[in-house]
Amino acid sequence: MNRLADKNILITGASQGLGREMALRFAREGAAGLSLVARHADKLNAVRDEVLKIAPKIDIVTIEADVSKPQDIERIVATTLAQFKGVLDVLANNASTIGPSPMPNLLDYPVEDFREVLDTNLIGPFLLIKNALPAMIERGGSIINVTSDAGQVGYPGWGAYGISKFGLEGMSQTWASELGDTNVRVNWVDPGNMNTAMHRAAEPEEDPTEWANPADVTDVFVFLASDKSKGITGKRFQAQEKWKATLSK
Amino acid sequence: MGAPFAFTLPPELSAKEPPERRGIRRDQVRLLVIERATGKIEHTRFDKIDSYLRQKDLLVFNSSRTLPASLRGCSCGARHGPCMEVRLAEHLPDDSWLALLLCEQGDPFGCGLREGMQIEFAEGLNAAVLARDANIPRLWKLHFSISGTQLVDLIYRLGKPIRYEYISAPWDLDYYQTVYAKEPGSAEMPSAGRAFTWKLLLDLKRRGIESAYIILHTGLSSYMDDELDRAHPASEEEYFVSQITARKVNSARENGGRVIAVGTTVVRALESVADSDGCVNEKQGYTRLTINSQHRLKAVDGLLTGLHEPEASHLDLLSAFLSAEKIRAAYEEAIARKYLWHEFGDLNLIL
Repeated sequence: MNRLADKNILITGASQGLGREMALRFAREGAAGLSLVARHADKLNAVRDEVLKIAPKIDIVTIEADVSKPQDIERIVATTLAQFKGVLDVLANNASTIGPSPMPNLLDYPVEDFREVLDTNLIGPFLLIKNALPAMIERGGSIINVTSDAGQVGYPGWGAYGISKFGLEGMSQTWASELGDTNVRVNWVDPGNMNTAMHRAAEPEEDPTEWANPADVTDVFVFLASDKSKGITGKRFQAQEKWKATLSK
Repeated sequence: MGAPFAFTLPPELSAKEPPERRGIRRDQVRLLVIERATGKIEHTRFDKIDSYLRQKDLLVFNSSRTLPASLRGCSCGARHGPCMEVRLAEHLPDDSWLALLLCEQGDPFGCGLREGMQIEFAEGLNAAVLARDANIPRLWKLHFSISGTQLVDLIYRLGKPIRYEYISAPWDLDYYQTVYAKEPGSAEMPSAGRAFTWKLLLDLKRRGIESAYIILHTGLSSYMDDELDRAHPASEEEYFVSQITARKVNSARENGGRVIAVGTTVVRALESVADSDGCVNEKQGYTRLTINSQHRLKAVDGLLTGLHEPEASHLDLLSAFLSAEKIRAAYEEAIARKYLWHEFGDLNLIL
């Protein structure tokens, strides 16, 4: 508990699944402020109410926005920094889309859907990092990008989603090396198979009960958001395996 | 107070678009360097600024983020009234705003602006017109129907950057931000720092040139009223100098480094919080400090700034660093060499 005292944290895709679980867990860990971003205000406000039950005094703001739209990114960061008086400690780039469901093979992938997936899963995190960095660079901070094993293996049928995650993993490495002599660390996490609405839509024929509950994979996110991970940057974590082993690599 | 000298700015010397849309990087604008002691002038490119800086120098930036401060609203009531551009100028401590109201049709100030008027914007936002500002009569005090971050969110949904007549196109807000912008609140971009890239900032850091940040939310540079603009009444601006920045400024001065303000807003903030010995203290507040040739600089040694319009108040401020004659000589060269003016233009380093 209280591993995140004094931390102001921005989470995208916070209305459901892993983003929602991160918000609840971060609140339990004593986060000072949460900026929760998602496309649907009603779901987002429900998460806000849950957070406030856990931490009634938390500084919380909800922002209805679409990370695939550059003008929304500017608004997300401006509103967050207005709420937190210019101070941001953690950015969790969690928002993600799988694109059309069922997912078409690349040969059949409509280019506009392909672009939309890249805009949400890759360009959105790029612009968020770019806009949020000024608030982190003086005091230090942590950027956590949520990726997937589809960002390391070219699974058939995972089309634009997998390619966007390949891109996100590469972009995370580049950010980490470019920011190597600052106090801003950049790491990325593969949460593994999770029982989320997005995953169920991606693989409707699979049994979701075999997948992890997103609430059970949040330890690594707490670690990366906390001061315990100071000095750790440029690393890939797998949330469901022995992620602590990553630290010795 | 009049400007230290007058000159005519040829219209072709207004930068009409951002450098990135003129085919150069943001850090490739030109840099006019003036040596304070001698008046010696050099011409270079901004990305070579490091050759004029030394280890232990401290660059102080204004990290205020530019608001899309131009909103469109219509007066409302029993009958729909005229529509207008509302240019937000300043957020006041009582949570109201000062704004310039410009009617869309006819006389910009002639569409029956009055106390008690209600202005309706999109997405359910409303504002009550409370009163004229006593200091700058073109500004009106507005009270919006929502406040805090909810209002910030709506301003970003509805607003556009303030755009003057010399700008060629409605550029996106992103072009009006410095790369280090943080907390939103400026009506116009604190543009002296626009040319910095993160690569340059990190390179300077590696070379031992320190940086620090203040926040001063800028007001409007023009009230669209020539007479009022010529009088350039000192507007009140909100600023914040943190403990970290105060410590860095004091430490730079103790260690023989120069404190170089990136922008006139930084000069205003630091000089507002400096004691008579030049010691800077952490402080948040509003300043009406006027800086001109009579002002003895206490905390700031150098200035990076844009090129200022004839009779702009910023020219007054430059005369705290240099005699009017030296400024005039430098500006004559800048005009002869076709430097570009305004927020997307070239820069001037005074050391």
